[in-house]
Amino acid sequence: MYIGVDVGGTYTDAVLLEKNQIKASAKAPSGKNLLSSILEAIDKVLQGVDPGRLKRIVFSTTMITNLIAERKYDPVALLLIPGPGLSYTYYQFNTFTRILTGTIDYRGRETVSLKEREVEAALDEIADQGFKKVCVIGKFSPRNTSHEKRLAMLVKEKYPDWEVELGHLAGGQLNFPRRVVTTYLTAATRESFHHFLNLVRQSLAERQITAEALILKADGGTLPMENSDKIPVETIFSGPAASTLGALALTSPGETAVIADIGGTTTDLALILNGQPLLSAKGARIEGQLTQVRTLAVKSVPIGGDSVLERMGNEIIIHGKRMGPAYCMGGPVPTPTDALRVLGLTTLGDQNRAAEAMAILGERNGSRVIAEKILNLVVDGISSQINKMFQEWELEPAYRVWEILQKRKVRPSTVVGVGGGANGLVDRIAEKLGCRSIIPPYAAVANAVGAAVAKTTLQLSLRADTERGSYLLQEEGFEGKIDSKQFNEKQALDILRERLIRMAARHGLDVKPEQLEVTHQEVFNMVRDWQTKGRLIDITVQTPRGITGRIEAGGQEG
Amino acid sequence: MRCKQTGLIFFPAFDWAISPTHPEREERLLYTRDQIFEEGIIDLPQIAEFTPQLASIHDIARTHFCVPQVESQTTEAHLIAAGAAITLADQIVAGLIDNGFALVRPPGHHAMRVVHGNRGFCNINNEAVMVEYLRSRHGLKRVAIIDTDVHHGDGTQDIFWHDPDVLFISFHQDGRTLYPGTGFIYELGGPCAYARTINIPLPPGTTDDSLLYIVDNLILPVLEEFRPDFIVNSAGQDNHYTDPLGSMRITAQGYARLTEKLRPDLAVLEGGYAIETALPYVNMAIILALAGLDYSNVREPDFWPGRFKETSQRTEQLKRLVDGLLKHWKNRDTTLTGRGKTVNGYYEREKLIFYDTDYIEEHQTEKLRICSNCTGYLSIESEVSHGFGQAGKVLCLSVPFGACSKCRNEAADLYTGAKKSVVYNYIYLQDKSSDYLLGYDTKAGKEWRP
Ligand SMILES: [Zn+2]
Ligand SMILES: [Zn+2]
Repeated sequence: MYIGVDVGGTYTDAVLLEKNQIKASAKAPSGKNLLSSILEAIDKVLQGVDPGRLKRIVFSTTMITNLIAERKYDPVALLLIPGPGLSYTYYQFNTFTRILTGTIDYRGRETVSLKEREVEAALDEIADQGFKKVCVIGKFSPRNTSHEKRLAMLVKEKYPDWEVELGHLAGGQLNFPRRVVTTYLTAATRESFHHFLNLVRQSLAERQITAEALILKADGGTLPMENSDKIPVETIFSGPAASTLGALALTSPGETAVIADIGGTTTDLALILNGQPLLSAKGARIEGQLTQVRTLAVKSVPIGGDSVLERMGNEIIIHGKRMGPAYCMGGPVPTPTDALRVLGLTTLGDQNRAAEAMAILGERNGSRVIAEKILNLVVDGISSQINKMFQEWELEPAYRVWEILQKRKVRPSTVVGVGGGANGLVDRIAEKLGCRSIIPPYAAVANAVGAAVAKTTLQLSLRADTERGSYLLQEEGFEGKIDSKQFNEKQALDILRERLIRMAARHGLDVKPEQLEVTHQEVFNMVRDWQTKGRLIDITVQTPRGITGRIEAGGQEG
Repeated sequence: MRCKQTGLIFFPAFDWAISPTHPEREERLLYTRDQIFEEGIIDLPQIAEFTPQLASIHDIARTHFCVPQVESQTTEAHLIAAGAAITLADQIVAGLIDNGFALVRPPGHHAMRVVHGNRGFCNINNEAVMVEYLRSRHGLKRVAIIDTDVHHGDGTQDIFWHDPDVLFISFHQDGRTLYPGTGFIYELGGPCAYARTINIPLPPGTTDDSLLYIVDNLILPVLEEFRPDFIVNSAGQDNHYTDPLGSMRITAQGYARLTEKLRPDLAVLEGGYAIETALPYVNMAIILALAGLDYSNVREPDFWPGRFKETSQRTEQLKRLVDGLLKHWKNRDTTLTGRGKTVNGYYEREKLIFYDTDYIEEHQTEKLRICSNCTGYLSIESEVSHGFGQAGKVLCLSVPFGACSKCRNEAADLYTGAKKSVVYNYIYLQDKSSDYLLGYDTKAGKEWRP
């Protein structure tokens, strides 16, 4: 038996799964006391069930996302080692920042060394400002970690009680500004996330749940709780990941589908390409800040069931905001939900008030006419964004001949609707796109379903530079020596497979070498004066992605 | 409204090489990619990244005579590189972006009008294909191409030699000291396009200051008078002080200032083979300069300000060179000579072309009809005698944009007549004025429309 718990801003949802069937689901308001909300939701689905039968319990949360949105995180100072390149005036990280001397180049060679006296002065300034958390981030640090590690040592020597976050561990991809933001948010939210994990542990302990507990990440994978406090930012956006996985669990394998999570003010779109959720080519954007957090490609469209409608001349416009519930449910202004009510596409709210809402928009006699117009507006708005999302995916830059040639026109065959506004809208959207539509019976708790079926995924990347005689394991921050100039992809893959399987075992994951998937592989011969001087090898390997199983129809809605 | 952006297409063709150890190989833009990605400049609001479309066979045949066919001289990588320039040019002409940089391989500026094989690492002239596309599809009238590669852009020069509406300016290391051995000051264009080709040969060791002197005192004034609708920069980076092929002393800062002054609509990458010591820095500097971003912090690890200084003797020499070229430019409309002879209203010249990569020797007889109503059609008899290229003679007929009906008809008649002759293996008609292209295989008796 699995439990999925989605701790959202307004509700905490839970589902209980047994053999790919939903046995129970529950909703509890997320009040001030998170512990009691979590307990309430778990208690409801566990009614009459022996906790000992639980195998795993997975949590997803938007807590960190909300913390960041409300800027309720801890003060963090930044120590940057950018070297030459983009002018520092473009680095606006809105916190105390000191730039230090030192340069690592693209091959990971040190071209300018650190100046320790300068470091000391910077630390004193940071101490004067009262910071206790500091991030150390260097340009090209994933290619050579020595500057960051050395700086961390200097900090620890002088201020042993400070927390130090290292750039190459938080953001191992090539993108310095994103690495800074990712490291910064990691440091800033660590304590709050820790607190959340403790609440979860406490609630599990109180109900004597000993099942494996996991946390959902933004890319749709999960991590065991004891390892997840290292990477709080990876749990942001796990909300959309949860709903995407939840919907994926309800579609057939290998399908290309769109998942439209239609809420009150926004519609979140995600793509399933041939049965796999599409990952965003770059990292997540969090409150306008670009990060390296691996995330599912999610597009948020500012149209939802409670969007404010207004008449401007002969046109009706949709505002990207909410002023309360729909007019038919006692709200202040007309909304798309009112139009759905007039057309009989939903049974929510009061029929007369819905007609009144249409009248406010200027159509006294034919409220159905205007309701139809509104429906078209909403459907057009959402379906054009779906098409755009596919186009954007096709237009994602590619750097090899074969990649450009292989991109074919792919369009969805199914639209899966989840979220409160899905009823009445998804059929029309699907029709417009020439697809079939599905509204899963558990749409209201799809997030919790997604959390329940999410698989643990781990990845490990290796970069070897045979001329420099070294390799780096990015996720572990481990640097190894290469003795032979003949070091090749096969040896690199052997190292990766062995270490990833060991890493997986530490995470309680039983993976066979043949199940590991190579997600990135790049090999370049370095030629100088017409002679091969060495090889650059970049390989990433990951454990299988996706979901533990598909939900069979026929369960009961709770 | 959103501010206008600099469009960027980065196509390093990580799976294409001339040969595994050739300078034009997979690794060439690897460190550039690392630098650009690590700096995060693609995330800046001033930069928009695009994905290239493929140029069509028709687009290539509008510019080149590929022997025997376009398909035999191009790989997909070539179509993507030329297509990248076209993709950005479309965006620029439509006003969707401010300017652009096609950071692509393979390069193209040594590819001439007739293509029998690879010359100077080039098969297809990306800039020329893009310019002819713009004139054909968007009706652009006047285009300027500024070639800032260390090698003379002899391919581009050849393609636009007789074209008064395309200004071609190339500065480069003196042809007596470097491939392809051309680009001297007396190479000034055909009889109807005098001084629309301007060559500025520079001595080895030339520095940033001299380059910027040429830009300020020659290139910018000439551009000002020419008033182009579109400025292309053939942006070779082998003038860099660490380049293994060239011997110049230009820095990343120098390239940035050059770009800032030229303000090209579209820059297209050409050569540059210091793949570690120059390209990551020079490409970064050019992108920032195009986008109007501060590039002052971009510098090579071994660079310090004041490292390279020009001697006063060199500066004097340069002044004389610039003054001389300006005089030619001033007299452009009154001078009607070219190197060659005019017989019965046809200007004729002989050319020998060597393909260094493929060891082909080509002999051409070029004939231009001197016409008072248009710039005249061109006929080229091309014969390949050695190497791996296909042996035998071909006839290429090129009718310019805005050709008069007499020139169009005469070229069409020549094409039809030649189909019956046994002299040529292949015959081509390229009518740019109507975008009508034909090819004919005399042995097979087969005609095709590329
Ligand atoms: Zn060159
Ligand atoms: Zn004519």
